[in-house]
Amino acid sequence: MLTVRALRRASLVVVAAAWGAFAFAAVHAADSKTLAIVIHGGAGVISRADMSSEREAGYRAGLEAARDAGYAVLEAGGSSLDAVTTAVRVLEDNPLFNAGKGAVLNRDGIAELDSSIMDGKTLRAGAIAGVRHVKNPIDLARAVMEKSQHVMLAGEGAEEFALEQGLTMVPNSYFRTDARVKQLERAQQEEKAKAAAPRTSSTGTVGAVALDGNGNLAAATSTGGMTNKRPGRIGDSPLIGAGTYANNASCAVSATGDGEFFIRSVVAHDICALVQYKRVTLEAAAREVIHEKIGALQATGGVIAVDTEGHVVMDFNSAGMFRAARDSAGRREVAIYGKP
Amino acid sequence: MYSIAIHGGAGAIPADLFAKNKSAGYEASLASVLDESFAMLERGGSSLDAVTAAVRALEDDPLFNAGRGAALTREGWAELDAAVMDGRDQRAGAVASVRHVKNPVDLARRVMEKSRHVLLVGVGAEEFALEEGIALVPNLYFCTDERRHQLASEQEGRRVSDLVPTGAPIGTQGTVGAVALDKHGNLAAATSTGGMTNKRQGRVGDSPIIGAGTYAKNGICAISATGHGEYFIRAVAAYHVASSVEFRGMSLAEAVRELIHTRIPTLGGSGGVIGVGAQGEIVMDFNTEGMFRGARDSRGYREVRVLPGRR
Repeated sequence: MLTVRALRRASLVVVAAAWGAFAFAAVHAADSKTLAIVIHGGAGVISRADMSSEREAGYRAGLEAARDAGYAVLEAGGSSLDAVTTAVRVLEDNPLFNAGKGAVLNRDGIAELDSSIMDGKTLRAGAIAGVRHVKNPIDLARAVMEKSQHVMLAGEGAEEFALEQGLTMVPNSYFRTDARVKQLERAQQEEKAKAAAPRTSSTGTVGAVALDGNGNLAAATSTGGMTNKRPGRIGDSPLIGAGTYANNASCAVSATGDGEFFIRSVVAHDICALVQYKRVTLEAAAREVIHEKIGALQATGGVIAVDTEGHVVMDFNSAGMFRAARDSAGRREVAIYGKP
Repeated sequence: MYSIAIHGGAGAIPADLFAKNKSAGYEASLASVLDESFAMLERGGSSLDAVTAAVRALEDDPLFNAGRGAALTREGWAELDAAVMDGRDQRAGAVASVRHVKNPVDLARRVMEKSRHVLLVGVGAEEFALEEGIALVPNLYFCTDERRHQLASEQEGRRVSDLVPTGAPIGTQGTVGAVALDKHGNLAAATSTGGMTNKRQGRVGDSPIIGAGTYAKNGICAISATGHGEYFIRAVAAYHVASSVEFRGMSLAEAVRELIHTRIPTLGGSGGVIGVGAQGEIVMDFNTEGMFRGARDSRGYREVRVLPGRR
């Protein structure tokens, strides 16, 4: 009997000691939680020859500013949801990128904007498509997620909701830049020159994915779509599962590229499903989807992704992708061309 | 082996639908749509044509919430969404928030075959319809008295049934869809809906979103979903089933069961799914009281049903 009691007592001490060690480890982990943010400003034909050094510096500065604005939110203890919203808003306001101000124009010369956001913790999501007068589409997507009973609103109905929510509305001319007007003219001349419609001339879409100090993931994407698109055309960016997806059980993804192919391939969710169900690494999942599956459709584009351990992926099969990343382990990166 | 399954929505089934034998009209309609589309497969037709024809017929029937008889927005408009997907090459077409296209599934098909886009919405989608010579109809064509009554009930604070409006004699708040495997081994899926009663103008549900309400991939499965669309979007429902079959080695029935009885309810949603697998196996599952559904295959199986039972 005595020996049994002694054993019990001894085991209690061991359990207590183990618990103490565990608690210490947990506290220690809280002090050094991984924070990470990755952003993109679109993938496509980005050639060094066409890019002046001033222009390149402008892109780099824009990417850095958006990345750091998002990272500052994380560093201050903010949520990944707030971080990706902030980063995407900064990119929307920058006329160099195809989202918000500086969005590409549809065949009628009008900017039509799409965006979406997803919370990896709750799987709540918001998306809007075909809006013409909302200064920051990402804010409207966020409002749809938080203030409406819907996930996706399109066109006039989305703008009606924006007005009800008191969001800043602007004339469509706010979004239009000289560079985009010229780009549309070029696309329409090429279309006339060739009998067949040209393939996409999309350069853009912006997005962000982040991991916050509470271990929560979020993803956001915003775009003006493709140059010379039909009015009412919706690409992958505002579609949950295609251009945007976040789930704490797997990863957060924002995509950019030939939207029609990304819709058909359900790209963002496919990467997360490969991670969660096939148990492949985030890197391998992104590679399989972008280089094998999207590549096989002769489509181009890229993705950014992050998982709950802070693994970061920026992969693309196009000539380049505007991209930047920063994490609490000291990684700071801005890149445009070359191999992912 | 070839097979087809169709649905006309999932939700609560008011007792009086059966007490007064009103379900007979629904069942008769489902049966005739089922048999006609099955006959197309029998003649060697493609699954793409069969699902398009089945959905078109359900759109034309005012009993179901798609095309004529669609649920109305809070302003009293019918705003229609539809999608179609070809399992051979994952080509897809979809339209959202159209107000004047008699058969939205035909426009979705045209988007797939004649445009370089996958999804067109609103006025732009209707512009494309006109360019393609598709006849437009006034919005009134879609609006039935039952739907106006249902909208009024909802706006007075009486929640209407997911499926059949409380206190109104007929009308469903479904979504319609079809999935098929043809003799050539090709899968296809199509879905069409008026969405939810009293929805905001411009609200887009899962039906026209590839991967959410509609998905097809040869060798894996074809899926059409119905239910509370917001949850099906967040779950990427249709593609979730396909990826569970492809990556986790689950049977179609297991993958659908997990989606409908675990994943969707965990998020707080309800609804159902029809699916057909690569071998022609049919799955029809829902977590609501009932789902208007029918299925038939070349081995002689045939079923038309509203309440739970059989497959």
